[in-house]
This record gives sequence, C-alpha cells and structure tokens, in this order.
Amino acid sequence: MSRPGFVLEVDDRTPPLVVHEGEGFRLETFPRGTRVIYPPESLPGIRDVDGAIRRALLEPTNSEPLPVLLTAGMRLTIAFDDISLPLPPMVKPDIRQRIIEQVLTMAAAAGVDDVEIISANALHRRLTAAELKDIVGERVFRSFFPQGALYNHDAEDPDGMLFIGETDRGEVVEINKRAAESDLLVYVNVNLVAMDGGHKSVPIGLAGYKSLRHHHNSHTMVNSRSFMDHTKSAMHHSAWRMGKLLADHLKIFTIETTLNNDVFPDSYGFLMKREWEWGVRDQASMLAARRGLAIAPKSVRHKLYQGMRAPYGLTGINAGETEAVHELTVAKVHQQQMVEVQGQSDVLVMGVPYVGPYNVNSTMNPILATCMGLGYYFNSYRGQPVVRKGGAVILYHPVEPDFNQLHHPSYVDFFEEVLSTSTDPAVIEAKFEQQYATDPWYVHLYRTSHAYHGVHPFYMWYWAAHAMDHVGDVVWVGADRKAVERMGFRAASSLQDALEMVSGTVGRSPSITYLHNPPHLIADVR
Amino acid sequence: MTSPVVHVTRHVLSGALLRGARQDVRLVARGWRWGRRSMVPRSAEPFVPAQTAEPFPTAWARTPAATVVRDGLQRFGLRPLMRSGITPTVRGLDVLDQLAGPVVFVANHTSHLDTPLILCSLPDAWRRKTAVAAAADYFFDTWWRATSSAMVFNTFPIERRSGSMSATPGDLLADGWNVVVFPEGTRSPDGWTRRFKPGAAFLSQTQQVPVVPVGIRGSFAAMPRGRGWPVPGRPAVTVRFGEPLLPQVGEGPREFGTRIEGAVALLVDEDATTWWDATRRAARGQTPPMSAPDTAQWRRVWDQTRPPVVRTTRRIWR
Repeated sequence: MSRPGFVLEVDDRTPPLVVHEGEGFRLETFPRGTRVIYPPESLPGIRDVDGAIRRALLEPTNSEPLPVLLTAGMRLTIAFDDISLPLPPMVKPDIRQRIIEQVLTMAAAAGVDDVEIISANALHRRLTAAELKDIVGERVFRSFFPQGALYNHDAEDPDGMLFIGETDRGEVVEINKRAAESDLLVYVNVNLVAMDGGHKSVPIGLAGYKSLRHHHNSHTMVNSRSFMDHTKSAMHHSAWRMGKLLADHLKIFTIETTLNNDVFPDSYGFLMKREWEWGVRDQASMLAARRGLAIAPKSVRHKLYQGMRAPYGLTGINAGETEAVHELTVAKVHQQQMVEVQGQSDVLVMGVPYVGPYNVNSTMNPILATCMGLGYYFNSYRGQPVVRKGGAVILYHPVEPDFNQLHHPSYVDFFEEVLSTSTDPAVIEAKFEQQYATDPWYVHLYRTSHAYHGVHPFYMWYWAAHAMDHVGDVVWVGADRKAVERMGFRAASSLQDALEMVSGTVGRSPSITYLHNPPHLIADVR
Repeated sequence: MTSPVVHVTRHVLSGALLRGARQDVRLVARGWRWGRRSMVPRSAEPFVPAQTAEPFPTAWARTPAATVVRDGLQRFGLRPLMRSGITPTVRGLDVLDQLAGPVVFVANHTSHLDTPLILCSLPDAWRRKTAVAAAADYFFDTWWRATSSAMVFNTFPIERRSGSMSATPGDLLADGWNVVVFPEGTRSPDGWTRRFKPGAAFLSQTQQVPVVPVGIRGSFAAMPRGRGWPVPGRPAVTVRFGEPLLPQVGEGPREFGTRIEGAVALLVDEDATTWWDATRRAARGQTPPMSAPDTAQWRRVWDQTRPPVVRTTRRIWR
C-alpha cells in the first residue's frame, strides 16, 4: 500500500533533509517550523503491461477499437513523445516501444503498408539514431529507420508542414504534413506530469514556430496558473482550441500512459525514502554517494548521472479520443503526485536536480536550470502558488555557465547577448524573439545537426515568466555568482545566507516551504 | 583540463576527502541519532507504516551456552549493580516451592528496574529458565539493543501495536520456559497502574499454566521514566510474589485478567500494610485500586514518588 504525500513540519526530531543541486545533492538542516512537502509513495506498477496495452487498444474510450480503424491501403502515422519524456529516461523496454510494437502488430494484421513513425520533437533537437532506437526498440528501429520511415519531425521543412486553418482567436494551426495527411494518426504519449498530454501532444509536438508562438509567449505563460491544471492554463486553452480544430480535419487515436514515482534506481534508493526512515544501509549508501560524487571529476559525475535510468512502473494506459482519454490520465497523475497543502508561505525552497526535459544526454545550462526551478517546479501547484505574491524563492543549483555547443548553440547567444540587455520576458520577446526564430544558422543547425531551435531559449525563459512576475526575490544557493547575476538573480553560499538576503522582502522570521522533489509532486494549495 | 587521475589524487592528498567524510559522518551521526533511539518527526508520526519486518530472532539466547553466559552476567554483574543502586526486599518466594513451572509471572510496571528486580529476586533455578516479553518497537528497534537485551535479560519481542499475540510466548511455555509479562504494555507515566491487557490471561488459558502475580512497589520512586539510573540514596524497592492463579472453568480471558489485576493490587496493598489487613479489605472488596485517582498529574506523581516504608526487624544493638 503506497502512503499518501504529506506536509512535514520540521522539528527537533527531523534529520537533515536531502536537497538536490544539479549533479549532486546536499543534506540541509532547515529551520524549525519549515514545511516540507513530500510526494506520495510510488503506486504499484501494472504487472501485465502488454495485457493492459492490448486492452486499451481493443477497448478505447470514445472511439472504435484500433483494429477497426486500421484498413489495408490506408496511410498510418505513429507519432510519439520525444526524449524529453520521461525524466530520467526509463529502463528498457521503454513503454513507447511496447505500445508501438502492439500498434504495428495490429497494423500488419490489417494489411497496412504505408506506415511512418515520427518523433514529435516540435522545436526540440533531433534525436540521434541511438536515442530513437532506445525509445522504439531494436525491432521497430530495424524495420523503419533504414527505410527513412522512422524520423524526427522537422518544423522548418517548407514542404513538410501543412497549414490546417486558424482558430476563432486567429491562432495558426500548422502541423507535420505527413501526419496531417494520414488517414489515422496514432499518438503515443508518456504523461509524466499533469501538464503533458491531451491537446498538448499533436498541436504542439508536431507543430512549428508559426503555431507555437501563439501560446509559447510571455503573456500566455504569465497567465497560465498553473501549467499543471489545464483548465486554468492559458497555454493549454490555446492548445485545446488548436486541438479541436485539428480534430475536425484529422482522425487521431491518442494513447496516453501514466507512470509511478520510481524515479531513482535501487542504488540510489535512499533518495526515494523519507529521511527519518533511512536505515543503516541507506545512511551508508548516502555517505558513499556523497564522497564518491565529491571525489569524482566533473565528467565522471556527469556520465554517472546521465546514465541513470528510472525503473518506472506503468500505473495506467488509456486510448481513444484525446479529451476523454486525457481526463482519465490526469486523474491518475493526480493520484500519484497530488499533495494537499494548507495556505501559502513567504519563502519557497526548491532543489533543482541534474535533468530537465531539455538536457537529457546534455548539460543543464543556467537558462535550463532557471526553467526547471522557476518554470516547472514553481508551477507544480494547483489552486495557488506555494509561495505568496511578493514572496521569495530559494533555489539550489551550481548554475555553472556551461553550454552544450551541439545541443544549445542559441542558448549561448541568448545568455550573452539577450540577457545582458534585459531579463524581462516581455521585453526580450518584443526585441529579440523574431530574430532568433528566423536566424538561418540556427534553423540550419536545428534541421541538420542536433540543436534546439533558435527560439527555444526564449521559451525556456517564458516558462519562468509567471514565477518572475509573482515573487519578489530569487536567490540561488551554491550557484556561480556571475551566471545568476546575468539572469537578474542573486547567489548565496548557504541557506542561512539566502534567508538573510531575502529578509528585506519577507522579514526575519518568514514561513518557509520546501518542495521535496524529485520524485514528482503537485502541491494542491488550498 | 586535468585528467581524472590527477583530479582524484589532488582531492585525496589535499585532505578534502577525509575532511568531507568527517563532516558528513558527524552530520549523519547527529541527525540520525547514532547509538540512540531513532525518532520520527511529530508531524510524520501518522504516516509511519505498521511494522511488518520479521521479528528479531532470539532462539540463540536460550541455548545452553547463552544461558550459562547470562547466568554469569546476572549473578556477577546485574545483581551487584542493582544492589549498588537500590535496596531491594523480596517477599513471598515460598509460593514457588509448590510449583514446578512453567508459569507466567505477571507484574505491574513502572520502571526499567522491574525486569532486573524480578529476575534477580527469583531463585537461581527459576531465573535460569525465565524469559521476559519485551516491546518489539522499543527493545528490538536496533540490532545492538535487541542483542544485548536478549543476552542479558533473555527477552523476546512482542508486538504491542498490532494487538495480535506473538506466537513466541506460547512456544516458550510449551518448551518449559517461564515467561515474565507486564500486561500494561508499557511503563506507567505516573507510577499508578494502567489497565491490564488480557494477553497474559489468554496465554495462561491457552497453555494451561498458572499465573504468579507479582506486586512491585517503589520502583517508580527509585527510577521513573526518563531516568537511566536510580535516584541517589539506594531507595527501597519491594517485590512480592503471590499465590498462583489458574483459570477457572468457563472463565474468559477478560474475567481472568481482572482477577489477576486484583491479585497484583492485593500484593501491593499487602506490602503497604499487612497481609491480614489487606486480606480483610479484599474480602470486603475494598482493596485500594492501583489505577490513578482523578487528581492533578503532579499529585499522582507526588504520591507515587514517596519511597515505600519497608518493615524490617530493627536491630537494637548496633
């Protein structure tokens, strides 16, 4: 039986608590009275995964069974969530592989010859062949990749995109041409957190800049409160409008999966436990891990962390009509991640871990660290933010100004050129976005190399727009001072120093809440 | 960029590795209370899972070799140590002469002194064959506490949270071991006796062995909860064994448990007054209750911290 999440109040019996900070973690002694939000324990995974997939395909929600939709001579496209999900990547076999294999088995039985499989990476970087193979499995890879029938979505291919129409708000809907012209589009999703899935899959994953700019902008992001509640998120509202329009033009069979909270492998099992329940083995593992990480060169540490694979268990799979499926999915995600929290606090503390959606097999640069902390973690709420309006946020991360030149070339320029001019999302949007989005060099790298699109760092900055608008102070503990200064924040060497620094905003005895994730959680703030 | 080998070597030689390890170990030792009982933050207590772990094995502590070692520890270690801290008086041991064992010793419980008091009061032959039921969540929460208490006191774990009866005490009685049970389940916080749980009565009924009631007086005053050593002055503590009780035909565990509780109360009253007075009061149904009176906490503690007056034959000629 999995225990629910809960809010701990730090007292004299509370041991130091784990705080993630990039490729490492520390033990932090929080002031007494600090609230610590713990996620629910992992729900048990489904034992018969293949059976559950089969049932979902044969008994879908608001749709005919998949075999009925498959006919000989049809044009079938299968799209799947790219490498940004789940986090960290899961141990093999990936759930997408197991689903795609069953879909293809049914397609083969129905005599479908024209099948293409697309990684729905929108403006994310192209996946390497090895990364595609990791997701879809060797059998699918061997059958489709050499023939060019398994590939990355290219949002800048002038011949590869199809204009579908405009929503009643004038939002352009343009998606991958192959997908748009298919008789059936099967979308395979991994719904790690509540903001994933639904109409965020096809209208965003297979779209390009012309569509994305309608919801990936500072105005929409500030008014998405929060991303984890699609009914109150302006970004999701826009995506939903696009999805409804798309549904009139294209038959989409959505398959959504939910995972449990098993984010760390056994060797890091202590990171999944509540600290006061650590046994001798957990304490010894933690001490060994701490010393090992301290002694390891940066490259080894990076390899160690990036090589981590999560033993996720499948908690649910639903297939059929997008909106009906998504309601079931969100309910399951809430069951795994939702924690009830009473009231806001003056200070919110968060540890930013080593991986986010955009640095799998890559480097978490300062902009991605900001996106992870102030974008995703800050927005891990429902109702109202965990921190009050005008409060302070304290984040842990080294924020080293390291950029992966292959994956994040436009980030370097964004950091050096754009942020040195302004850190205001609205200002930089107006002044720089268009230039970066249409820069031919960035477009070339996006299409032919493995680079994120030129406009991508802007979107990362917009993710944090709501937090930057809401809080009065942001301090990074253990961060590179110059790097955080460039982003308009401040650095502190310890929690005590950080609290001292924010005392001008929140006073000398503020209420503090620490968000103890990963594993993933959503604070349902009442 | 330095090579990994140079990096590691530099880290080790600079002393950073040892320094960091020392800091971490110190932090963990303090935070996780090494050598002391682990504690759960108060707000997390409702979320502590029920103990499902396998009980700590204690059969080794009842092997002939362990029994010999324990006999030595109790005779030459525990007994002198106890007498250096308190002045024990034992009465009523003659009841054991009429018994062959095994029996269940049932006593009131106010102090950690109670277990060594009972064990050291018993004749050697009885003591060697006596085991003590101890709370699994308290005495068996760490390996070193479990091992040492099983070795010195011949304790075995009993689950008091789940309410289910451990299988061990029945097996021990069947194997001829006497068992000491404190049916209150925990030490009294104010020296007054709490309600007896029916486990001991149930055990006696299922195994068909007699219950020997034991009344202890003065141990709360000598070493109450929170103290690790008796108060100065070698305070007096008395242990009084009563007539064995057997379950009667048709008597349920609750009724038998009430009778046992009454017998212990009678022994405490007898110890405070005289056998004759206590017996007459018992006949009238006026044995002073052992349960706490409805007064302020301090008055209850005050009353129980009064050292018992031990009636001894005074020596006129010194």
